[in-house]
Amino acid sequence: MSSNDGIKKTLIVAFSLCIVCSVVVSTAAVVLKPTQEANKTLDRKRNILAAAGMLEEGVSIDKQFEQVETRIVDLRTGKYSDAVDPKSYDQRKASKDPSTSKTLSQDEDIAKIKRRADFAEVYLVNDEQGELDKIILPVHGYGLWSTLYGFMALESDLNTVVGLGFAEHGETPGLGGEVDNPSWKAKWPGKKVYKDGDVELGLIKGTVDPSSANAEWQVDGLSGATLTSNGVSNLVQFWLGEQGYQPFIENLKAGEA
Amino acid sequence: MSEMKETLTQPILRNNPIALQILGICSALAVTTSLQVTVVMCIALTSVTAFSNLFVSCIRKHIPGSIRIIVQMIIIASLVIVVDQVLKAYAFEISKQLSVFVGLIITNCIVMGRAEAFAMKNPPLPSFVDGIGNGLGYSVVLLVVAFFRELFGAGKLFGYQVLPVVTEGGWYNPNGLMLLAPSAFFLIGLFIWALRSWDKSQVEAPDYKMAKHTAVEEAA
Amino acid sequence: MGLRKILDNMEHHFQDGGRYQNWYALYEAVDTIFYSPGSVTKSNAHVRDGVDLKRIMITVWFCAFPAMFYGMYNLGFQANDVIAAHGGAVDGWRGALIGLFGGYDAGSLWDCFFFGALYFLPIYLVTFAVGGFWEVLFAMKRGHEVNEGFFVTSILFALTCPPDIPLWQVALGISFGVVIGKEVFGGTGKNFLNPALTGRAFLYFAYPASMSGDAVWTAVDGYTGATPLSVVASGGMPALQEQWTWMDAFLGNLPGSIGETSTLAILIGGAVLLMMRIAAWRIVAGVFLGMVALSTLFNLVGSDTNPAFAMPWYWHLVTGGFAFGMMFMATDPVSAAMTNGGKWAYGILIGLMAVLIRVMNPAFPEGIMLAILFGNIFAPLTDHFVIQANIKRRLARVQ
Repeated sequence: MSSNDGIKKTLIVAFSLCIVCSVVVSTAAVVLKPTQEANKTLDRKRNILAAAGMLEEGVSIDKQFEQVETRIVDLRTGKYSDAVDPKSYDQRKASKDPSTSKTLSQDEDIAKIKRRADFAEVYLVNDEQGELDKIILPVHGYGLWSTLYGFMALESDLNTVVGLGFAEHGETPGLGGEVDNPSWKAKWPGKKVYKDGDVELGLIKGTVDPSSANAEWQVDGLSGATLTSNGVSNLVQFWLGEQGYQPFIENLKAGEA
Repeated sequence: MSEMKETLTQPILRNNPIALQILGICSALAVTTSLQVTVVMCIALTSVTAFSNLFVSCIRKHIPGSIRIIVQMIIIASLVIVVDQVLKAYAFEISKQLSVFVGLIITNCIVMGRAEAFAMKNPPLPSFVDGIGNGLGYSVVLLVVAFFRELFGAGKLFGYQVLPVVTEGGWYNPNGLMLLAPSAFFLIGLFIWALRSWDKSQVEAPDYKMAKHTAVEEAA
Repeated sequence: MGLRKILDNMEHHFQDGGRYQNWYALYEAVDTIFYSPGSVTKSNAHVRDGVDLKRIMITVWFCAFPAMFYGMYNLGFQANDVIAAHGGAVDGWRGALIGLFGGYDAGSLWDCFFFGALYFLPIYLVTFAVGGFWEVLFAMKRGHEVNEGFFVTSILFALTCPPDIPLWQVALGISFGVVIGKEVFGGTGKNFLNPALTGRAFLYFAYPASMSGDAVWTAVDGYTGATPLSVVASGGMPALQEQWTWMDAFLGNLPGSIGETSTLAILIGGAVLLMMRIAAWRIVAGVFLGMVALSTLFNLVGSDTNPAFAMPWYWHLVTGGFAFGMMFMATDPVSAAMTNGGKWAYGILIGLMAVLIRVMNPAFPEGIMLAILFGNIFAPLTDHFVIQANIKRRLARVQ
């Protein structure tokens, strides 16, 4: 065994082991990369379709996604932009980089996200006549423990909610985690976003009284999860408001986007 | 051959890496909220332990003593990265839920412990079998814990609703504690309790015994 | 001496080799309720006191009665108040009994008390039966005696339950408290956590939607509101004072867990405990001082975003479970610190933590329960340091 402990032997073993291992690791990484990328986009597409309530079991996601058109919106002007390529654009990365995002002041930053990317992806669903049927907007904001990332889908009137779904969050199971509960999510479709030009949609404490005049703009709060509920209200109000998609939505309504 | 069988089956209950040696607890707490994820984790860990044992054992006669831990680490780390890449490619949903815990197999004491304690001293085949055996021992505990956590925490097994929950119109009120990491501690504790009642030889000797009262005469 | 005779006649059945030797624990329990234990101390250096463990536990049990009786009345009062304002009635067997013997008049002492008893007594009975079952089972299996500590555990656990808790949750909670909180460590005297609180904490994390102290606990179906502490957390002191005066909170005219509402009733029981030297005054003082210190500090610092900073100490004292925890839970002689210095440190730690959790933690409006469990965990450590410091000091004197 003493021959093993010589400097020469040690170096040879270390070196050859490193070569073998790095070859194995890099081969695995390179060979599997395309499949992994495909998985990632597929996952995103699934979440987008789910938010819009268009997800069908048994049909390939890619096929379902064919009717969805991805566009980039410049949030500063509220118009479509071709400055970045939707295929490679990563909004989450962009919102961390000062050169591609805007620092939000304390008053503006109701969703507690600190920075907002200049460009955002939007997903348009067109009907058979080529008219806009639904629009899906990525949203995110801070809840109690974590940032919630999700998608909000609106109908072609750009005011009625089709659905809201969160793809990623770390809220308390059973309390804030109930944002994933299908019966809670079912309370969103049909709600209205704007009232006299302002975002009115939000969660309230307790249950919505259907006879109330504001019932159209209210959704039941999550019981026992006041701060997650506030977080959801805030992110909806942020992203559909002045700093978010509102300029774009207005342009789109006027046909100027 | 019976020795080989021993190597394979001993770690499952008699010399369980989690229950007796109390190794590899961290991932047992983190990934056991649903059975599906747990099964994948168990397969990943079992294969890493088996193959790292195999490779370490293959080159055991050439490993210099001074860098043996690093050599083991490199082999284990490479295997873990490969497993992680494979999971990302072929089991994306689950690898998302496992997140960092696949990567953390590298630091799992069971893998390293078996490489150092067994594979360095035994030929490749028994080492491989030992790796599988310990992986199975780990899996048994994780599966039991995950079974209870998923059943009582979400009313599901492998994602299928077994107990209809209240929020969806059923009768079962899911136990939120089961979805939090501490519940795995309690469950592993209860598992060890059950195991040691069955196999008394695993019970540790008490640290101390209380002395009897001394009467006056004895003291004087 | 008829009873003594009956017991003596039965005794041989329960001793080793007897017909019911497995049931010895039960025989012993009944025997020692009526008579002093027959065992005699054989060693020297032994202080004898008329108050043994059994009497201590029974005293604590009695001392919880003011809080319990007031809690029952208040439970009914709060519920009837809501029923008067919002309508509704109680269904099932409770409704039938109320229809027969009581009513829904919030002004009537009997109506409220009877209503409350219908909710509290089932909770207490379930606690006692289920917890007692585990206690006896372990006593038989492990060969130790059934301990009256369980009387205390059971009533404290029942009093910390919200009025509208489903009975199966009560059973689950007390099972966890007794088995995991106490018996796995070897039974009374060897547990490092307060079993009643362990059970309560289990429920708190297991069923957070109904137990975390956010929504109000009133025994009326479908009625939701906010507990005083969550009112403060979201709206600040003005919002709290709008609904309740300090006197309301002190006397207990507000909703909450059954036993925690009336600070006055708790202090009456607590005073007896302090006078009988069962509860350590150093712990109670420590908890109180820790709470006053940190809440005053928060008052001075102030905060624009967190209204709970402004809550003064005299409000902390009367809302939520603070007083109950301070008097009955923190002073549990088994899980608290043993040394005098350790008691101060233990108490202050609990007081600080309770306010810290209440004010700073966004998820949990109530913090006393977690603070006490936290203190329990640190109690052996503080004792260790106090003892080491003492040894050091005395060694220095010798040299």
